[in-house]
Amino acid sequence: MNKEFKLSYWKFREAAKVNKRKKLVLSILVVAGIVSVLHFAEWWFRAEHVNSPVLYLVLTFIFWWGIIRMTILWISYLKIDKPTPIPALDGLRVAIFTTSSPGEPLSMFEKTLEACSKINYPHTTYLLDDTGDERFRKVAEKYGAVWLELVGFPGAKAGKINAALKRTSEDFILVLDPDHIPFPNFLDEVLGYFEDKRVGYVQVAQAYYNQYRSFTARGAAEQTYGFYGPTQMGMNGVNCAVAIGANCTFRRKALESAGGHGIGLAEDMVTAVRIHAQGWRSVYSPIIVSRGLVPEDLGSFCKQQLKWARGVHEVLFEEVPKLWRNLSFWQKLSYCTIGTFYTSGLTMFLFLVIPYLFLWFGLLPANMEFTDFVFNWLPLAFFGVAIYSYVQNWLCHREEERGIHWRGMVLKFACWPVFLMGFILAIFNRDIPYIPTAKQAVKGFTPFVQPLIAFLLLYIATFIFIVLDRRFFTAEANLSLTSGGIWGMVAFASIAMIMTVWGIYAAWESRKLSAEEPWKYIEIDKINVSGRPSGKRSKTRVENLV
Amino acid sequence: MKKISFRIFLVLTAVVAGTFIFMLLSYAGDRSKGPFQDFLTSVNSGFASFEKKWVSGKENRSENLKWFDRYRINPVVLNSADTLLLGIYDDHTISSFENIVHLEDSLKINIPIISFYTAWGSKNSQQFPLLKAQSVHDLGSMPMITWEPWLDDFDPEDFPAIAGKEDNNKGGLKLITEGAFDPYINKWALAAKNFKHPVFLRLGHEMNDPYRYPWGPQNNDPREFISAWQHVFTKFKEAGATNVIWIWSPHLAYTTYTEYYPGNEFVDWIGLTTLNYGTVAPWSQWWSFEEIFQTGYDEFSTYEKPVMITEFGSLDVGGDRAEWYRKALDSIPQKYPEVKSVVFFHASGDNTTTYKTLDWSFISDAEVIEAVKAGIQKDPEPL
Repeated sequence: MNKEFKLSYWKFREAAKVNKRKKLVLSILVVAGIVSVLHFAEWWFRAEHVNSPVLYLVLTFIFWWGIIRMTILWISYLKIDKPTPIPALDGLRVAIFTTSSPGEPLSMFEKTLEACSKINYPHTTYLLDDTGDERFRKVAEKYGAVWLELVGFPGAKAGKINAALKRTSEDFILVLDPDHIPFPNFLDEVLGYFEDKRVGYVQVAQAYYNQYRSFTARGAAEQTYGFYGPTQMGMNGVNCAVAIGANCTFRRKALESAGGHGIGLAEDMVTAVRIHAQGWRSVYSPIIVSRGLVPEDLGSFCKQQLKWARGVHEVLFEEVPKLWRNLSFWQKLSYCTIGTFYTSGLTMFLFLVIPYLFLWFGLLPANMEFTDFVFNWLPLAFFGVAIYSYVQNWLCHREEERGIHWRGMVLKFACWPVFLMGFILAIFNRDIPYIPTAKQAVKGFTPFVQPLIAFLLLYIATFIFIVLDRRFFTAEANLSLTSGGIWGMVAFASIAMIMTVWGIYAAWESRKLSAEEPWKYIEIDKINVSGRPSGKRSKTRVENLV
Repeated sequence: MKKISFRIFLVLTAVVAGTFIFMLLSYAGDRSKGPFQDFLTSVNSGFASFEKKWVSGKENRSENLKWFDRYRINPVVLNSADTLLLGIYDDHTISSFENIVHLEDSLKINIPIISFYTAWGSKNSQQFPLLKAQSVHDLGSMPMITWEPWLDDFDPEDFPAIAGKEDNNKGGLKLITEGAFDPYINKWALAAKNFKHPVFLRLGHEMNDPYRYPWGPQNNDPREFISAWQHVFTKFKEAGATNVIWIWSPHLAYTTYTEYYPGNEFVDWIGLTTLNYGTVAPWSQWWSFEEIFQTGYDEFSTYEKPVMITEFGSLDVGGDRAEWYRKALDSIPQKYPEVKSVVFFHASGDNTTTYKTLDWSFISDAEVIEAVKAGIQKDPEPL
């Protein structure tokens, strides 16, 4: 891989169109998937399988939590939709907001602001700055951006945006994360959708350019591919596409009707749910018109996840109940599903614990014949994989992004302590400080790896204990008939152990990451958006739109 | 209107095709269930054997039972046994044979035959119990399997002959003869053959008891039993399972037993059950071993087959249990020389006969232990 400037990244990309044939195949797979879920349910919920009622309940929760979420996702795929591109009208008044905070590298802003200045559609770029650093103002001026000094506002990014809203008057505002390099055609691709006056915001995909930097970066990127492709497209079909902060273009009226940009750890989701509750429509367009940074070291990734974990729970517990009656059925379902995403921290923790309960205390949740389990679960697994593969048709950058995404899975698994912490903090309503996502790799072993190491030690200790116990302390008459059960459980625990080892690897690799400025290789002029609309626009009256 | 019908058409196509693909997949899964299960079973028992070898060296029961190897590797030697071979059934051997080892420690012997029970049916647990048989073998003993033809646990999808039948046990033995369960029997026979070591097989025991088991006279007549026995026996021979040693085992309380004998060429051992229930139930009274055993022995000792007491034991209610064991074990070598094997029925939780659980175990009864110890030491192990 070319580590410096990967040409294929710097080209306009979009997800494939949704045609009838593909949708029919997808529907068939989804129906088969749902039937296999029912089939599995019919087998799972039988009294004869219950060994310890409490543990069985826990096991049921672990399994069915995931299965039900997967089923909801499948059903939303039935509404998968790609909005038809609408050319942007001429003469709209557009602002780009990008924020800078102390500690963020100046050279990154050079690149971002340069890219903003090269966006085709006429606009004004604002740098919302609270660094108190004179150099930032100079960079802004160098690229024709308006420098706004906004020091001392609450809620980090959102506070600055709200303050900037008061000082500006443009009708459309693109909120751009400073690590994101916009393509020249960005605004041309999104502004057209505002022709529909009910549209409150237009979100586009988030893509990255520094995946090559580390295992963590690659895994973190992999986790997002499906979400910015088929998942959001399905959500778009039922009008509940979520704003993710970066790359979201808002209608000022929509933002104002929601009381400005939301504040909190998941401020973008807060904003989205409020705008939805005000009756605005949202558009998700699966196109890549910018690329940004994904966390490169495990510590930053975990921090980001913790922030989001805590944040989405805020949305779940604070916003959703308040706005419940103003949301549509799908919006309720969607926000609840996202809001409970990090509960997987709990289910993964329980999943980890179950083999040890058996190996140390002989506790077994279920009376299931292993082969029976495999055969009843197999259709479900098959259709799960089939649907997962099939919807990869709608990845934004299919050639690059398709695959089994095992790094993403490992990383999600390795984050169970973080998810669990976010979940618990949310339940007890404890705060975590606002932690900005690191823009550059941070050296040193992250504290987030400690639970993983503890878990690995537990595995090793258990393994040694079992080997010694069976070698020297288990009666001969006791050996053969328990062999399958014990070693089967050890094999089961080993799956989690392998994932843990990869997680530790990611942390170890993060330690020796060289601090580098990946943006220094980007050549804005080489961004390839040939064949995309720019410049020429129709002459409809602008007032209609605003 | 056209648009609506097109949509309905698409939805219906999705539903029908989706269900079809699902059915296809589950059907394929069902078909492959057998081989996959067998594979896992053999992996499990292979691994258990491997682990056993890896661990061996500390205590080694099979070392103490070396004298028995001469019998258990050769059916000819076994069937003309020149000594009394002891056996045991204990009902707590699901995950460990430790109960048996504890009893052996008390009796200061190692018991060469380990008995257990398994039923017919489609479930995994109703296939040939490879893991258990292998474990018994690895411990130096020989397995004795009582194979009970309960016929209500078969999946009609795999056995079309029973589809739509309300009660497979009615005339069940005829069904067996007609080949309704041949796939099951063949598979079991092959698995038994692949086990390689001699194994006692006690099929359809107490077939002459009209109150107990569905393969008894209430559902079948004696000729049907004989045909079914011969059918199963032939299937095993066809499969090449020559390591299976056949025990024909009637109930001694019903003297119709002779009507059920399949013939000398189909039987290796005659298994007789002598359980003294004492006064535990209205229908029972305290019988001595002799009272239970004599008539049947007089009949079957003339069949030129070795005799095994397949379930040997007494309850503790209504008499002196230690005395019962002492007398019985004293009398066997003297009065009943054709008896070549005695299998202790050491079940502590037997609930198959009465509404309450019966305890046949005697490990915690010092008097019985002494009596049994004295009884079996009169017949020293040959070297």
